[in-house]
Amino acid sequence: MTHGLLSALARLERFGRLAENAMLVVLLGALVLLAVGQIILREVFETGFFRADELIKLLVLWLAMVGSVAATRDNRHIRIDALSHLLPDKAVTAIRLFVDTFAAVICGVVAWQAWRYLQLEIEFEDTVLINVPAWMAHIVVPGAFALMSYRFAVSVIREVFVMATGSGAEARR
Amino acid sequence: MIALTVILALLAILGAPLFAVIATSAMLGFQRDDTDLMNLAIEILSIADLPFLAAIPLFTFAGYLLSESNAPRRLVRLTDALLGWMPGGLALVSLAACAFFTAFTGASGVTIIALGAILYPALQQDGYPDKFNLGLVTSSGSLGLLFAPSLPLILYGVIAEVSIDYLFLAGILPGLLMLVMLSGWSLFVSRRSPKVLQKFSIREFGLAIRETAWEIPLPLVVLGGIYSGFLAVSEAAAITALYVFIVEVLIHREIRLTELPRIIRESMVLVGGILAILAVSLASTNYMISAGVPQDLLASVSGLVSSQASFLILLLVFLLILGALIDIFSAIVLVVPLILPIAAAYNVDPVHLGIVFLAAMQLGYMTPPVGLNLFIASYRFEKPIMHVYSATFPFLVILMVSVLVITFWPGLSLLLVPG
Repeated sequence: MTHGLLSALARLERFGRLAENAMLVVLLGALVLLAVGQIILREVFETGFFRADELIKLLVLWLAMVGSVAATRDNRHIRIDALSHLLPDKAVTAIRLFVDTFAAVICGVVAWQAWRYLQLEIEFEDTVLINVPAWMAHIVVPGAFALMSYRFAVSVIREVFVMATGSGAEARR
Repeated sequence: MIALTVILALLAILGAPLFAVIATSAMLGFQRDDTDLMNLAIEILSIADLPFLAAIPLFTFAGYLLSESNAPRRLVRLTDALLGWMPGGLALVSLAACAFFTAFTGASGVTIIALGAILYPALQQDGYPDKFNLGLVTSSGSLGLLFAPSLPLILYGVIAEVSIDYLFLAGILPGLLMLVMLSGWSLFVSRRSPKVLQKFSIREFGLAIRETAWEIPLPLVVLGGIYSGFLAVSEAAAITALYVFIVEVLIHREIRLTELPRIIRESMVLVGGILAILAVSLASTNYMISAGVPQDLLASVSGLVSSQASFLILLLVFLLILGALIDIFSAIVLVVPLILPIAAAYNVDPVHLGIVFLAAMQLGYMTPPVGLNLFIASYRFEKPIMHVYSATFPFLVILMVSVLVITFWPGLSLLLVPG
């Protein structure tokens, strides 16, 4: 029973990482091609893609958000990392448990506020790129923060597990 | 209010992700003003409106690709062919190669891993003292921060709304000063190096040039494109990314296509980390500015110092402490908007301020307790951290002197800047 649950979680983990990678590859590829294409069109044909600048900005927003989710999974968010070199493993895990709980809650609140804003955008029928509903472009913000909240919660669970079983070294991963 | 600030600071010191701490502070600010918390979402979305932001993911990706290819090895061979015949040549090679490489990889610690692994054993083999080698490789990891197109320079330009082109020009001479001073120290240390000098070989030089033929145009693409007015910074970044991809993946074939998703992920994880902080700080900064924090700061600073010189001293002390505590990207995003108006009141040019800021923060990479380079070097070369501290110390002192020169000689930064 627990075994089945664990393997389902492991599958979810693999799928999540794969999905992040796929999105990052597509977004970055699109950004490079669009930006370079725009230069070629401008210099050679004296024309340009329609609304390319706005699209580039939205691509950067998406890259930033998906990159943030990936950073959460890889535990690579920028932190002041002074104590982990000074304290024993057990204390580090306990502190991590505490600050990751905090991060999970805050990400959840941000996701909720961004979701509320999205409702407004839907209500007022805001658009980007002339006639694309704005919420389609902006949904990445509540989505990313919700996923980060989830990832931090997973880290917390892992840290509780480490504390309980006492395998200290794992916590820093 | 004070209690909450203390709690937030405590959370940050305990190692909470900085973006979460900053988001909390912004939301607390909104709450106090009866502003709807939804505004945080609007501020986060507004990162999309920052000019040239696309340059950050594009240059970061190009830098990561370069570091995964054999470009570091080729770069070392070329500089070795150029400088290796001199006494202390290999030390100079290390400094020059690291500076060039850091400029392209944005001082994210990649330099120590990509170049240090080649240079450290090579220096060892040439008979340089071990402690010197370790210090050299560790401190070179952030050398070149002031050279275009380094990520911190671009980020400062975005935040301070200063022309990134000007910043690129302003960084050249101060960056060279650091390079020259460290080279001088290296020559001094290696003056009694027992190694028989190799002769300059035109053949080896030709071979090295041929090998690097594809990478040599890179600085020209970046700088030439920008200064000819042909390309905006973000466009130069796009061309660089595509160019590096074509050279390393399609021509040299040193990176397999199957490795690309991993490399893209690693580079975008760094970008995501930086931009998450940037996004939430837009909110907290706007709140602080509307609450008059810069004016309050200015008022308390002007109570302490009256002249530009004493302001600069105060600024340096502050930046050195800041650099020892937080990383360069968070520091730029959080602190620059607050000190810009104060610096303006003391007639400090924003371009010069940027160079001083980054030069001082560069020292932060090498100062305990959180100096990133120290930990990367300790981990990479399997040396105790205290040993790395003491090996790096002479280099830290020299860089400190160069930072003083850079700070109190604005002309050095501004000489190449038009206007």
